[in-house]
Amino acid sequence: MRKLAQHSRHHSPRHLPFVRKISSVGLAAFCVLLAGCDNGASTVARSSQPVSGGTLIYATDREPICLDPHVGGDMPQVFVAQQYLDSLVSMDSEGRIGPWLAKSWEVSANGLDYTFHLRNDVHFTDGTPFNAAAVKANLDHMANPKTQSSTAGGYIRQYLGTDLPDEYTAVVHLSTPYAAFLEVLAQGFLGIESPTALLRPRDTNCESPVGSGPFKVVRWDRQSQVELVRNPDYNWAPPTAKHQGPAWLDRIVWKFIAEPSVRFASLQAGEVDVIEALPPESHEAARRNPDLSLIIAPRPGNPTNGALNITRAPFNDLRVREAFVRSSDVEGALKSVYFNEFPRAGGPLSSATRFYSADFEHAQDYDQARAAKLLDDAGWTQRDAEGYRTKDGKRLQVHVVMGNRTPPSEYTLWEQVQATTRLAGIQTIIDQMSDVQATQRQADWDYDIRLGYWNTNSADVLRIIFGSGFIRPAGVGGYHQNTAGFSDPTFDSLVQQALETQDPEQRRALYYKAQQIASSQYLELTTYPQSTRLGIYKTTQGVRVEPSLAVTYLYDAWVNK
Amino acid sequence: MSSATLGNPLLNPPRHQRLKHLARRASLRLAGGILVLWAVATLTFFALRLMPGDPVLAILGGPSGNPTAETIAEATREYGLDKPLAVQYGLYLVRLVQGDLGVSYSQHLPVTRVLAEQSGPTLELTITALLLAWLMVLALTVLTAGRRRWLGRLASLAETVAAALPHFWLGILLLAVFAFGLRLFPPAGSDGWRTLVLPSVALAIPLAGFIAQVTRESLELTLEQPFVLTARTRGLSDFAVRFRHALRHAVLPGISLSGWAIGSLISGAVVIEVIFSRKGLGRQLYQAVQAQDLPLTIGISLVVAAVYVLANILIDLLYLWVDPRQQEAQA
Repeated sequence: MRKLAQHSRHHSPRHLPFVRKISSVGLAAFCVLLAGCDNGASTVARSSQPVSGGTLIYATDREPICLDPHVGGDMPQVFVAQQYLDSLVSMDSEGRIGPWLAKSWEVSANGLDYTFHLRNDVHFTDGTPFNAAAVKANLDHMANPKTQSSTAGGYIRQYLGTDLPDEYTAVVHLSTPYAAFLEVLAQGFLGIESPTALLRPRDTNCESPVGSGPFKVVRWDRQSQVELVRNPDYNWAPPTAKHQGPAWLDRIVWKFIAEPSVRFASLQAGEVDVIEALPPESHEAARRNPDLSLIIAPRPGNPTNGALNITRAPFNDLRVREAFVRSSDVEGALKSVYFNEFPRAGGPLSSATRFYSADFEHAQDYDQARAAKLLDDAGWTQRDAEGYRTKDGKRLQVHVVMGNRTPPSEYTLWEQVQATTRLAGIQTIIDQMSDVQATQRQADWDYDIRLGYWNTNSADVLRIIFGSGFIRPAGVGGYHQNTAGFSDPTFDSLVQQALETQDPEQRRALYYKAQQIASSQYLELTTYPQSTRLGIYKTTQGVRVEPSLAVTYLYDAWVNK
Repeated sequence: MSSATLGNPLLNPPRHQRLKHLARRASLRLAGGILVLWAVATLTFFALRLMPGDPVLAILGGPSGNPTAETIAEATREYGLDKPLAVQYGLYLVRLVQGDLGVSYSQHLPVTRVLAEQSGPTLELTITALLLAWLMVLALTVLTAGRRRWLGRLASLAETVAAALPHFWLGILLLAVFAFGLRLFPPAGSDGWRTLVLPSVALAIPLAGFIAQVTRESLELTLEQPFVLTARTRGLSDFAVRFRHALRHAVLPGISLSGWAIGSLISGAVVIEVIFSRKGLGRQLYQAVQAQDLPLTIGISLVVAAVYVLANILIDLLYLWVDPRQQEAQA
């Protein structure tokens, strides 16, 4: 219930009408979520016993590029992976780490060696047994540059190698202490695949990956669907699951329907059983429809945001950064673009992240008077013919660099930011271009604002997006993950210390300070938390989202058709 | 038989000569077609290569990839992007002639495989739409041409409006009414005939409008011909006169328009496949262009161009079959 309390706390009475609507939405959503996670009841309040058999049709918006979540590492991949892969460890709704394929583990005093004691009764769907060599093969695969792993590989940069003292013990060696290691291991991105299957070429493994999970991938019909069938041998569900043994469902048809209204209409018609990325404009209709139920779960990590490039003018001046943020009416924009269905995120961490503090939610509140004063103080006192502020004859201008695959609603949101920052005398220019060009501009630091988000189940995300080590990635050729260009030894040392201790209270205190610094530096204009939004048809029950990344988990789901 | 009224068999050249003539004509058209394909490949190649942005970044996963310098260097070598553009073009043409379309950057699959998987649904969609359009044309024109003036005018107005309807608008309208509202057809997908109905209707209606306009005009002219009067005096029913005699003359402009229609249908399929979440070349092309996926974009453009060329050759031959007089004129 911790999340519930926080959720109602971080809205001030100043936005009362907004608060009331959002909290009721949020409460309903959280109750659904928590019921699913904690009470052992199905997420849909219908009294019915699980039934074995049947096909569940799932529809989502984006098709993965590769079904192996180690390669690249984008959200659509982990959603499929969660159905056919198991992880070394599990995470519960409180963010605590529990056993899964590893029965137990020890961490050495210096934080560099992790000894995992593995289950000895697990095998992959191709018959390969799960053992310490499989763990080694997987970690090696994620770390191998040839895998081109951005996400999983990025999370285990500290990985040195794995020793195999016996068949069911794996000792993982890291180069620096990394307390977030267990947390990231619980993510589907780092799911454990069959080492035999991993020996095949990358593109083959992308198409027909093999895991030990409750379902197995049988066919990928491009631009149409992925078919998964039940793994009849499954008997190693995580402790967070609601039952043991094989999954209830015989089969999952995982369809791709890009058009949001079409996806929602398919759900209403009962053509599909579950849809993901429920469009915000349909939330109200879904709530009113007795045939449907909703799950809305915020994802942990860094919320959706525009990162401000502090390495060049005008955002090299903290006052200008705060003025820009303060003159952006994000609440107003969320209301008109997303029908008040998305709550505001005001701090560097999403409320669903472990060690999140609500104390920084209001640092970005809309305040034109403060913005005007800050800009005056910063010397942007003159105005030109069009009403924009100038200093030394130069107009106060910022460029938002946007790739062409940015969703239209996101573009509209930034148009509203453009309109309200104009009132403060800032010219916000939205540059739209191809994704490749935008990536190039990013690599060249040629932007003032870049849009992004980072979904991960660890407050260590702060180190990735604001740590000085991420200004230049190891390989230099690609783009930097510290989009703001923030470099601060105090901050670096805080997030590093947080990795050196396993003590939750110490970590909480350190991450509190790190959030405080990031917030007070105005490195991002945060807008709303990323979320998983499912619409579920009445024939389907037991669908839930797992806690590590709020990913759909169909192991406990069943259909009554 | 009705065909007796068309041309005198005695005047026709011997059969083998006719075939020879047809073959020569077909091979000429084929050569022209190859020229078109070369032009398409060349244009697409340069258009995509001259687009701003480094193709290596497109290869290495676009915005979600974060390649290292080593990976970039490796990919640059692997795809030959370190060579001058002219050399790249030459190599690319050589591979193309050998039937090697390369590997899609965004799908990590051989382009030929993507084409094999995606062509079927688009072909199914366009052919259904073309047949449907012709059904509409025949129903509308044969029944209303040369009838009472107001009826003809009304039908003609309907045709003009239909021809002017944009595919995306029609697609969304059909979705709203028949999928979301009445729930008669599924709003998305590509399995089974039920998913084919709405997309093909959306493609067929504007096309039917175009073809019907020309067919109506020529049908009305034909109905005033003396041979129609002759047929009527032989006691044939009005229906038989229209279907057996007049139509054969009147469909000729419509048939030649169908060649153009193939192109229009495929470009319409891009929009329709996106709206109806259908599998197919159109949606794939849309995604390939967005991802700057050079091999796949070229591959799809070539297939579309090849279909267009082939369809036009077929239409040409169909024309000769419907109207043997054409052969005499050209013999």
